[in-house]
Amino acid sequence: MDWLYKITVTCFAASYSVALVLEISRVFFQARFRQAIRIGFVAAGLFAHIVYLVMQNRLEFKASGIWMGSWFDWCLAAAWLLAAAYLWIAVRQSQSVIGVFLLPMVLALILIGYQFDDQARFSAHEARSVWNMVHGGSLLLGTTVVVLGFVFGLVYLFQSRRLKSKSIPSRLFHLPSLEWLQRCCERSLIVSVVLLGIGFISGVAINLINRPASDGVAESGTIAWSDPVIWSSFVLFGWLLISQIINLVYQPDRQGRKVAYIVVTCALFLMLELGLVWWTGHATTDQVSCLAQSQVVTDFLIGGST
Amino acid sequence: MNLQIIGCSHHRSNVSIREQLAFTEAQVKPFLEKFYRQFPDSEAVLLSTCNRTEFFAAGQTSDSIPSQQEMVRFLAGERGISNNDIEDGLYRLNDRDAVRHLFSVAASLDSMVVGETQILAQVKRAYELAIESNRAIPLTHRAFQSAIQVARRVANETTLHSNRVSVPSVAINVLAKQIFERLDNKRILVIGAGEMASETLTYLKAEGGSDIVVVNRTPEKADALANRFDGRTKPWNQMPSEIAMADLIISTTGATEAVIDIPLFDLIEPDRKQKPLFMLDLAMPRDIHPDVGDRQNVYLYTLDDLQKVCDRNLESRKSQFPKAMKILDQETDRFLSEMRGLASDSTIVALRDQANQTKEAELKWLMNRIGDDISDDQRAIIEHAFHRLVNKMLHSPLKSVRDDSEKGSNSLLEAVRRLFQLGD
Repeated sequence: MDWLYKITVTCFAASYSVALVLEISRVFFQARFRQAIRIGFVAAGLFAHIVYLVMQNRLEFKASGIWMGSWFDWCLAAAWLLAAAYLWIAVRQSQSVIGVFLLPMVLALILIGYQFDDQARFSAHEARSVWNMVHGGSLLLGTTVVVLGFVFGLVYLFQSRRLKSKSIPSRLFHLPSLEWLQRCCERSLIVSVVLLGIGFISGVAINLINRPASDGVAESGTIAWSDPVIWSSFVLFGWLLISQIINLVYQPDRQGRKVAYIVVTCALFLMLELGLVWWTGHATTDQVSCLAQSQVVTDFLIGGST
Repeated sequence: MNLQIIGCSHHRSNVSIREQLAFTEAQVKPFLEKFYRQFPDSEAVLLSTCNRTEFFAAGQTSDSIPSQQEMVRFLAGERGISNNDIEDGLYRLNDRDAVRHLFSVAASLDSMVVGETQILAQVKRAYELAIESNRAIPLTHRAFQSAIQVARRVANETTLHSNRVSVPSVAINVLAKQIFERLDNKRILVIGAGEMASETLTYLKAEGGSDIVVVNRTPEKADALANRFDGRTKPWNQMPSEIAMADLIISTTGATEAVIDIPLFDLIEPDRKQKPLFMLDLAMPRDIHPDVGDRQNVYLYTLDDLQKVCDRNLESRKSQFPKAMKILDQETDRFLSEMRGLASDSTIVALRDQANQTKEAELKWLMNRIGDDISDDQRAIIEHAFHRLVNKMLHSPLKSVRDDSEKGSNSLLEAVRRLFQLGD
């Protein structure tokens, strides 16, 4: 079984890249067996991807005693979920070339994960608590759903623009119907509100219940509002919640491009937040020093003294 | 195998000739039965569609099928017309050309709208009618089964069939599917009751469209159209409220001014709550003001827009022609090679049987004459010698027959059949 340890990020990233090239080639010409080969590459990538995650985490677990103990692991897990979603869509909507939009997101998440690779791991104390598991798990799934919604939203806007401008779709560049995309956007919006809501509330709970006063950031029973990740999460969740409530009450907001715009904006918020996570080293053992830096930025943004 | 076709099609015969030679389904069986009474050794199939009538005759030998002139005479006689009236409008094909033509027809490469799928069903039906005429048709069975397989191969390996080329089919099968996932839960409003509306509704029904409302200035025409497609009618003055509820609008009136103008759309737009609306303006002059298409979640397509797609798809189909023709050539060669193989095999088997029967008879005569004067071993040696003699004598002629047959020639095969009186 030693060969399983030889699987690297390059193996599954290359598999997804080949699948992306095959997907793009569908726009230009027809070929027999391409669908099977493409699905084969994605399935192989998924296998290598999950094996890599399990094997790496076994080693890390032996060393630090925690599973999925870094942002690198979480990004790769999100990428795996997204690739699995792509495989499902590729089978269900075999004619559509949605992978042209979705697979770059998978590769981007792997790349983002790579950027986190040199970051410190989560502290063992935090990673083992139930609240942290709920917090991390819901944010992982929420991130995946938001990225998925982002892709659906982008494809919706692209397809809608194409149909509006009467640039009639070629049979080779087939995309799902607007109705299907709208439904997917709506569902991803609802699911992401729930998951990010759980993530945010569990994050608040961690701060209120579990945070040791000795970490130098906040006293026990308080929320570290100076942490940009926390206030930006609050803004993201608040915005999502309000837009979802308006969506449910005001019927035109459920229609067409408006839903697509909401999910795209949601994803842009999330990207901003991931940037902050990366910059501040949120939840890692490096967070203390990073927070000192981020305090300067926070004060500047809210107009405080520097 | 000998295959002959005489026929007329839209390529070289005008409508008047095609009309004279057209058969209804009920007329095909009596026609074939009469043909079999006159030519009992032949097999026959009659294919009659609105664009072609083709009469196929097949037989194991050239003597077993009527000549092309006899086929023309029979066809003309059945239609009650003179040979001279149709002579110039008919094409005559035999053997390789006939097989290739049959494959081409089944694969819709010879159709008026290349790639249309209806012709394959018509070819299958013609074949079924031939079987129902209570005749065993082994040769045409092979030819038609191969034609159906060739049609499937062309459909799978080219994009000939995938691009729609008529305005209603492009509107529904291409565009509506880009907007809606399903049509069975969509409200369809038809304004006007013309031919184009009827054609479009045919495609809509096929795709599951069921909630159909027809509004027309002449209620009788609206009723007729709605009845045909299990729809409902609404008075003309209720059109605005129907537009507010519709998901798909097909407008085909003969009005000289826009039926759906900006003031009307402004009136109903708040009630629509920005629900996506697919509008097909299939009228000339246009029924829907072009600015309506700029409104949020409205997708408006006119005849010109749809015609552009049809033209593009037609070009795309034409580009697939060389690939389809290559498949046709490959399959024709394969089919003829198989048929030749079958014919030579049956001749070889018959010749061997005949030689073995002669050998057995002579052996029996010899053994009776010798009686019990020889041992079993000696008897076995004599039998083996006879066997070797027959094999050696047949080896060269059979090899020549096989080689000749593989080259596509039937002459040696027929000569062997006659020489040894092997029959069919």
